[in-house]
Amino acid sequence: MKLTRREFAAGLAAGVTAPYLIGSARAQGATIKIGMCAPITGPAAEAGKYATGGAKLAVDAINKAGGVLGKQIELIVEDDQTTNPGIVLAFSKLAAQPDIVGFLGSIRSTQVHAMAPDVMKLGKPVMFGGTDPNLTKLGNPWLFRFRPNDSFSGRVIADYGVKTLGKKKWAVLHSTDAFGTAGGKALTEALGKLDTTIAIDQGYANQSQDFTPVVLAIKQSGADILGSYFTFENDLGIFARQLRQLGVTIPWVGSPSIVNVTALKLAGPALYGTYGVADYAEESSEASKAFGKAYRDAYKVAPDNQSSWPYDAVMVLAQAIKNAGSTDPQKIREAIIAIKKYPGAEGEYNFDDKGDGLHGYNIVKNEKGNIVFDKHIDFND
Amino acid sequence: MSAPSENIQPIAVVPRSTPLLIRHAPYFIGAAIVVALAASASFDGYILNILMQATTFAIAVFGLSVVLGLCGQINLAQAAFFGFGAYAVAIGTADYQISYWLCLAAGCVMALLAGALLGMSTLRLGGHYLAMVTISFQQIVTLVMINAIWLTHGPDGVGKIGRPALFQSSQSYLAFSVAMLALVGYFVWHLPQTRLGRAMRAVRDNELAAGVAGIDVFRTKIYAFAICAVLGGLGGGLFAGGFAYVSPDQFSFAESIVFLTMSLLGGVASPIGSAIGTGLLILIPEWLRFLKSVPGLYLAIYGLSVILIIRYMPDGIWGFVTAGLDRFRRKARVPDAGLPLILAPAKTGGEMVLEVTGLAKHFGGLKAVDDVDIAVRRGGVHALIGPNGSGKTTTLNVLSGLYQATAGKVLLDGTDVTTMPPHLRAAAGLGRTFQNIRLFRSMSALENVVIGAERPGNTLIGKGSEAELTLRAMSALSFVGLGPRANELISSFSYGHQRLIEIARALAANPTLLLLDEPAAGLNSSEKLELHELLKRIAAQGLTILIIDHDMTLVSEAAQHITVLNFGRRIADGESMAVLRHPDVVSAYLGTD
Amino acid sequence: MDLALQLLFTGIGIGAVYALVALGFVLIFRATNVVNFAQGEFSMVAAYLMVVFAVDLALPYWLSFLLSLAGMALLGAVFNLGVYYPLRHRTFLPVIIATIGASILMANSVLAIYGPQPQVLEGWFETPGIQLGPVYLDSQYLLIIAATATLVAFQYWFFEHTLVGKKLQATSQDKEMASLLGISVSTMIMVTFIYSAVLGGLAGILVAPILFVSIQMGSTIALKAFAATIIGGFGDVTGAIIGGLSLGIIETFGAAYVSVPYKDAFAFLVLVLFLVFRPQGIFGERVAEKA
Repeated sequence: MKLTRREFAAGLAAGVTAPYLIGSARAQGATIKIGMCAPITGPAAEAGKYATGGAKLAVDAINKAGGVLGKQIELIVEDDQTTNPGIVLAFSKLAAQPDIVGFLGSIRSTQVHAMAPDVMKLGKPVMFGGTDPNLTKLGNPWLFRFRPNDSFSGRVIADYGVKTLGKKKWAVLHSTDAFGTAGGKALTEALGKLDTTIAIDQGYANQSQDFTPVVLAIKQSGADILGSYFTFENDLGIFARQLRQLGVTIPWVGSPSIVNVTALKLAGPALYGTYGVADYAEESSEASKAFGKAYRDAYKVAPDNQSSWPYDAVMVLAQAIKNAGSTDPQKIREAIIAIKKYPGAEGEYNFDDKGDGLHGYNIVKNEKGNIVFDKHIDFND
Repeated sequence: MSAPSENIQPIAVVPRSTPLLIRHAPYFIGAAIVVALAASASFDGYILNILMQATTFAIAVFGLSVVLGLCGQINLAQAAFFGFGAYAVAIGTADYQISYWLCLAAGCVMALLAGALLGMSTLRLGGHYLAMVTISFQQIVTLVMINAIWLTHGPDGVGKIGRPALFQSSQSYLAFSVAMLALVGYFVWHLPQTRLGRAMRAVRDNELAAGVAGIDVFRTKIYAFAICAVLGGLGGGLFAGGFAYVSPDQFSFAESIVFLTMSLLGGVASPIGSAIGTGLLILIPEWLRFLKSVPGLYLAIYGLSVILIIRYMPDGIWGFVTAGLDRFRRKARVPDAGLPLILAPAKTGGEMVLEVTGLAKHFGGLKAVDDVDIAVRRGGVHALIGPNGSGKTTTLNVLSGLYQATAGKVLLDGTDVTTMPPHLRAAAGLGRTFQNIRLFRSMSALENVVIGAERPGNTLIGKGSEAELTLRAMSALSFVGLGPRANELISSFSYGHQRLIEIARALAANPTLLLLDEPAAGLNSSEKLELHELLKRIAAQGLTILIIDHDMTLVSEAAQHITVLNFGRRIADGESMAVLRHPDVVSAYLGTD
Repeated sequence: MDLALQLLFTGIGIGAVYALVALGFVLIFRATNVVNFAQGEFSMVAAYLMVVFAVDLALPYWLSFLLSLAGMALLGAVFNLGVYYPLRHRTFLPVIIATIGASILMANSVLAIYGPQPQVLEGWFETPGIQLGPVYLDSQYLLIIAATATLVAFQYWFFEHTLVGKKLQATSQDKEMASLLGISVSTMIMVTFIYSAVLGGLAGILVAPILFVSIQMGSTIALKAFAATIIGGFGDVTGAIIGGLSLGIIETFGAAYVSVPYKDAFAFLVLVLFLVFRPQGIFGERVAEKA
């Protein structure tokens, strides 16, 4: 019995000390390092591929132009496994490397929520793409958003549907995850301020195999326009097909996922004629066109918002370091806040002191599978 | 020590053992060192997060080692219980500014209640059913976490979770969590040697035998399940404080599978195994991050390793290691042979110890036992015989509560036990053995008999301390001649000796009536002689025996009274020699044309 | 009423998918007394095989279909040899864990080979569906319902009227007795795994045009199919079919009339109710404990 006891203690001690073995031997280099948490595995792994692609494109462009402060930029990517514990570990692994000066977080709001306490502790700037409006209201000075938040997407969808399409009886459909709930709320709030009625406000759980009850409910409600927040493309695809099959033809303005590459491939004709808000629209500006061309040349796929925001994030971070003339976190922060009228792939960046860089969206239309830029709606308040 | 004379109650000399806390001092010293290390070593944030995750997960996995390792029940919802604790701390501290300690306690209580309720509704089913119910429970909990936004904030999760004022820094909080882990580890490590732990192991090894030995099988399973849930809740509560943010996807079915794999990988039988498994499954994916260039590759390797470990290390890593170490281990000392066995059957009823009237047991249309009366006189050996399929074993199973009687009444020493479950009949003074021996195979002979001695209502074990139980069990083992081999595992005994251990287990309980189900089956002639001698020695102490057997020599020599069954009905009853000459009995055995 | 009819059709369609996967569970359970947690991954792998053959290699649909099923037969055999067979003498727990490991392995191997993007697989028919009065009948769902019905008939014929079927039945009822009768139990178990893998694969191929081909497609269906298996009574073929269909219908109507976000909870609530009040399922018999 004695042996067992000693072994137990030894086992515990070994369990505790073993992690020392990892994390040693971290080289110091003559580069400026940027850490990036991206979903290499898990349900959003495909988005991760686009995201790292966008970020690498920016790194290459900067390095080709001579780098920043005379140094080359180096991107270090960690897998966040598309989960919250995953991104906490990935971020803490990056955060443990003292020579990383800035980070790219996630496009998923829930993951940014998960890493926010650690970001606060570390005190270095983190760029992210999650669009939950609350993220820049946490009182965390180190978070900088590179996509317009959902309060804007909701307002843009409402504004376009009511003022441009002239529809007043709305169906609102949203995923019950963080992204969908926040978006649905933003849309209903924006509709409340315009002269409209909400015929139906419906949530659904991700990875539903069937949307018949939802489609029928929308049909029954008599709504004349649909606004939607879908998280996963396969849900969007199944819904779009069933919507058309069951004969619902009302105009449909969706959140950015409605115009992304995968959704277009999956849903095909079912999405023809729909509108989407897009933070990235290739035709919306010169900077967007330039990014689109570079991305196509590099990866032979069409660019979308998954790749454009990391591109802008790296570019803006590099610009801020250049402007600050230093890699001191506080100075970088001040330099990012000071950035105004910066022409990015996503749009024109005018950072406010909360950390929001963009304040409007593009509206695009799906014309037989081609995404066509329609108009840009910006808000100044 | 000379044997005391028959009529003087022996004063049991109970060897005084050193207090547990002193014997286990090395553990606490080791734990204190680890806690000090966690509090003082300098970790970077990454290592701190990993250690925090490993520590809190390990507590939940300890829970699984209780329910799965000790009690043999599956739980695929440990992440849900983990979530109960985590959300209690998260919502309590972040939304309602309630004290951390209160929230932690509340989380544990909620997990406990949920675990107990879930257990009560389904633990009678076991096996695959239990697996399904726990999966369903897990799914429902996840859906509520996502959709009950007013309470849980839905998929946004809860941030800004508080910690106790004493442990504000991450490092001190880690040290606190490690200290909790050490405490829980001590409890889980010590549990198998306690009464409850032994009961769990007995249930895992053989449910029927456990019930007959006086263990409330259902309640034991619920305790195991509730302990598992509470440890899940505790781990979750600590986890929430450690990471300051929780969201539903951290408590999904996939996480329950991770917990289960951790437990199996390390070795389900011991907390050390759980700790190893937890550490490895948190570290391995981290180590394999270099494989990330190909999405999915490292999880594929993880899946493959699970298959290989299950196949080549069935008892987990720790089981594999201990199997190797066992060869070098010092043999534990065999306890003293104990005093000669005393049997003091209770005598509360009248002349008849067992009165069975109008007993029937029907399976659908089959009347296995029909309208049988048996009266067993106190102090004698009574035999129940009959050809194959005559309903003898069914009768015994009804008597010991394994089957519910369709009709009739069973009085044991004046108490009506007709509707009682097996463990209550055992408490009322019924002991039995099985035709196909039912021992607790993962335990030593001594532990088997200790479980017998622990029977509720046994008056010969004083306050029931460990030492008194051991003494009583050693007396019983010595009585059947196996005292010197007390510490050997069941598998090392011959068939005949296993039968003797089973009888010793029943005798240690000091029953009022002993049911022996074909004790001579499978024994050779010399073993049968020994058995006969043993029965005489038991009967000499005044214990009443009801025996079933085919061996007519044994029956006619040992029994004073015989009841004969055929086709489920009583065809003869009376004094041995007369019954054996009864024409109906003769024709039943020899057949009539 | 129109609404209810449309829901009923969809419910039966999705229920037929659950039923198909549930059949695979039942067969393996009857032969081995083990729940195969990787059954859903069979469906996922088969759908990807279809994408490889029909989309990437642009082979004719029927040929791709046959090749995919052949691939599934092979996978079933490998699964048996690699996962189940070495553990056949152990208790159900390690086997369950091994099948869970196999499911993680399969899902992530496909991810490593094929990447994370969901794929499109066209349906068997050109026309997407028929409008029948107020109800729209999706042609793929019609195909699934027809296939399930055919398979049930085939299964009945196979088990009751063929030698292999009878041998399989004998094996699942009493292994010792079967081997005494000269039936090779290990061959029969092999046949079962192959057949179940093909069955699971068929479900995957049929459902892929509706749900798209993704890594997660298997696990979501499998969990429901699992519930269907219990509701039907573990080990009963008819039960699995009824269980699957009723689950699909309950789920669809529950989503329409009670709550969409809690749609997945209905299946599990029904399951828990069954387990508590009628654990033997609709058709199962309570097995008496033997002393």
